[in-house]
Amino acid sequence: MNLMESFISALQSVRSNKMRSFLTMLGIIIGISSVITIVSIGQGGKQAIVGEFDDMGTNVININVKSTNNDIEDRDYLTLKDAELIKAKIPEVTSVVPAAGDMGNIKTEKDTKFAEIDGVTQDFDKLMPVDMLAGRFLNERDVETARNVIVIDEITATKLFKNPEKAIGEKVKVTVRDNNTNLTVIGVTESASGGMAAMFGDNYPGTGYTPITISERVLPDSKITFFSVMLTSMDNSKEIATKIVRLLEQSHRNEGKYAAEEGFKQLDMLNNVLNIFTMVIGAIAGISLIVGGIGVMNIMLVSVTERTREIGIRKALGAKNKDIMLQFLTESLILCLIGGTIGMTLGILLGFVVGKAINIPLGVSPGVILLAFGFSSAVGIFFGLYPANKAAKLDPIEALRYE
Amino acid sequence: MIIRVENLKKIYDTGVIQVEALKEINLEIEKNEYVAVMGASGSGKSTLMNILGCLDRLTDGKYILDDVDVSTLNGNELAAIRNKKIGFVFQAFNLLPRLTALGNVELPMVYAGMPSAERVKKAKAALERVGLGDRMHHRPNELSGGQKQRVAIARSLVNDPAIILADEPTGNLDTKSSEEIMGIFEGLNNEGVTIVMVTHEQDIAQHTKRAVVFRDGSIISDKQVENRIIRGGITA
Repeated sequence: MNLMESFISALQSVRSNKMRSFLTMLGIIIGISSVITIVSIGQGGKQAIVGEFDDMGTNVININVKSTNNDIEDRDYLTLKDAELIKAKIPEVTSVVPAAGDMGNIKTEKDTKFAEIDGVTQDFDKLMPVDMLAGRFLNERDVETARNVIVIDEITATKLFKNPEKAIGEKVKVTVRDNNTNLTVIGVTESASGGMAAMFGDNYPGTGYTPITISERVLPDSKITFFSVMLTSMDNSKEIATKIVRLLEQSHRNEGKYAAEEGFKQLDMLNNVLNIFTMVIGAIAGISLIVGGIGVMNIMLVSVTERTREIGIRKALGAKNKDIMLQFLTESLILCLIGGTIGMTLGILLGFVVGKAINIPLGVSPGVILLAFGFSSAVGIFFGLYPANKAAKLDPIEALRYE
Repeated sequence: MIIRVENLKKIYDTGVIQVEALKEINLEIEKNEYVAVMGASGSGKSTLMNILGCLDRLTDGKYILDDVDVSTLNGNELAAIRNKKIGFVFQAFNLLPRLTALGNVELPMVYAGMPSAERVKKAKAALERVGLGDRMHHRPNELSGGQKQRVAIARSLVNDPAIILADEPTGNLDTKSSEEIMGIFEGLNNEGVTIVMVTHEQDIAQHTKRAVVFRDGSIISDKQVENRIIRGGITA
C-alpha cells in the first residue's frame, strides 16, 4: 500500500466521521491559530520598531564628554576639528555629527514658538530621518561659511507662518536666553516626533536646526559635548570606539574624559525583550497545541478500538503491521494538517485584524507558515504514533473475533 | 500437494492451565480438492483453520503450504503468505462497510502492491465471476447476505490463491442463499480451485468431496463424501 493510497483512504475515513473529525481538529485549530497570531503580531511589532530605528542609521557610536565629577575644563570640550580629525584618521568612520543644543524661542514680528535649537552639520540627515516639506536642509556651504540660516520643523512653521511653503526666505529672530540672532528660514522639515507633536498640539516645542558653525552666535553656551559617529558597520565597533577615544585624548592631552557607547543599544534590548515576550506567549499558546494533540490521540485510540475488526480483516487479507501503522498515522496526520491549515488561515487573519487595530504591519513570513505545518505534522505524528502502534500490533485472530 | 501438516500440535497456555487444542494432527490436501472440516464447537476445527490460514502459529510440528514451510516465518512474512496464497471467506462476511463491493475486492491487491488500473480490472472480473457485475458500486449495507458473501468470495479469489479457506460460509444465510453460495463454490472447484470449508452442517458438507471430522483435537474420520449433492456448478 503506497503513501498516496493510504492518504486517500485516510481522507475518506476522516470524512466519514465529519463531526468527530471537526471537533478533534478544533483543538489543533485553536492551538495553531493562537501560535500564529502571536508570532505574527510579535514579528510585525518587531518589524515596526526596527523599521523606525532603521531610518536613523543604526551603525552609530555616541561619544560623550564625561561630566561625572564636574572637573571638565574648557579644553576638554569637543570641537569641530575633532570631528574632522576622527573622520580623517579612522577609515571605518563615514561621518561625524557634532551637536550642540539648547531651548529657546523662534520669533517673527507677530508670533513666538518655543523650540529646541540644534547646531548641527549637513551630515545630520544621516543620523535622523529628515523629510523636507519645503526648501532644503543645511548643506556643506551653509556650515563651512557659517551662514545665518535655519531649518525649522513643521509645527514651528505652521505656528509662525501658517504653512511651510510661506516660511521659506522669511526672517526669524532666535532667542536663547539673552542671546538674539536674526536668521533666514531655508527649509521646513516634517516634525521628528510627528505623533507626539500632534497629541500635544501647539504646546509641543518645535525644532530649529542651524549650522553648528554659528552656534557661538546663536547659543550662549555653545560647547559641543556630544558626537554621533557613523560607521560602515558595527563589526568592530568596540575597537573603533577605543580608537576614537584615544585619538581625542591625544588631541586634547587629557585622559578619562570621554565615553563611547553604541548608539542604538536600546534597539537590541528592545528586540530581545520583544523576542522573549513573543516566545513566552507563543509557548503558552503552544500548550493548547499539546492539549489539541492529546485530543487527537484520544480520538485515534477510540477509532482503533472501534475499527478493531476492520484491522483484523485487513490483516487477514495481507496487510503488514507497517501498513496498518501507516494507515492510522496518516489519519492523525491528516486531522492535524487540515486543522493546521485552518488554524493558520485563522491565525493570519486574526494577526492581520489585531495588527490593523494597533497599527503594526503583518509579520507573516514563509517561516511562520512552515512553522505551522511543521508543528501540526509533528503533533499529528507524535500523538498518532501510540494509537497507530497499538493498531499495528493487534493480533489478527482476536481482532477478527472482536464484536 | 497444496497442504501438508505433520504432527501438528497447538497448545493454548492461559497461564493457569494448558489447553491442548490440537493433538498430533496429520493432514494432506491435494490441488483441486474440496474438503469439509467438521466437528462440534471446541473440537479444534477452528484452531486448525486459523493455523492453515496463517493467522495463528502452531506450537509444534510442521505446516507446509504450497511448498513453503510456514512454521518458521515471522509476522510480516505470514502477512505476505495470507495475501498471496490464501483466500478467506468468513461466516460474518467481514467486508469493510465504508468501501464499495469493488473497493472491498480490490483490498487484497492493494496490499499486494498492484497498480490501481490493473486492480479495478481484476476486481471487476472477479465480481462478474460470482454474478455481481451489476452491484459493484454498492456498499455492503445495500447488499443482501448472499450478495455480501459473493463479494467476499470474489475478494478471496482475486490474488489467485493456492487455497480458499471458508469458515462456515453459509452460517449467516438462509437456505436459498446457502444453496447459491454452495453452487458458486462447486463451480470454482470445477474450474480447479482448492477449497477447505469448515462447517458443522451435514447437508452443507454433503456438497463437498471429502469430509474430515474432528473431535477433542483429533481427526476421528477422513473419507470421501458419499451421495454428494451436485448443483451443476451454477454461479448465479
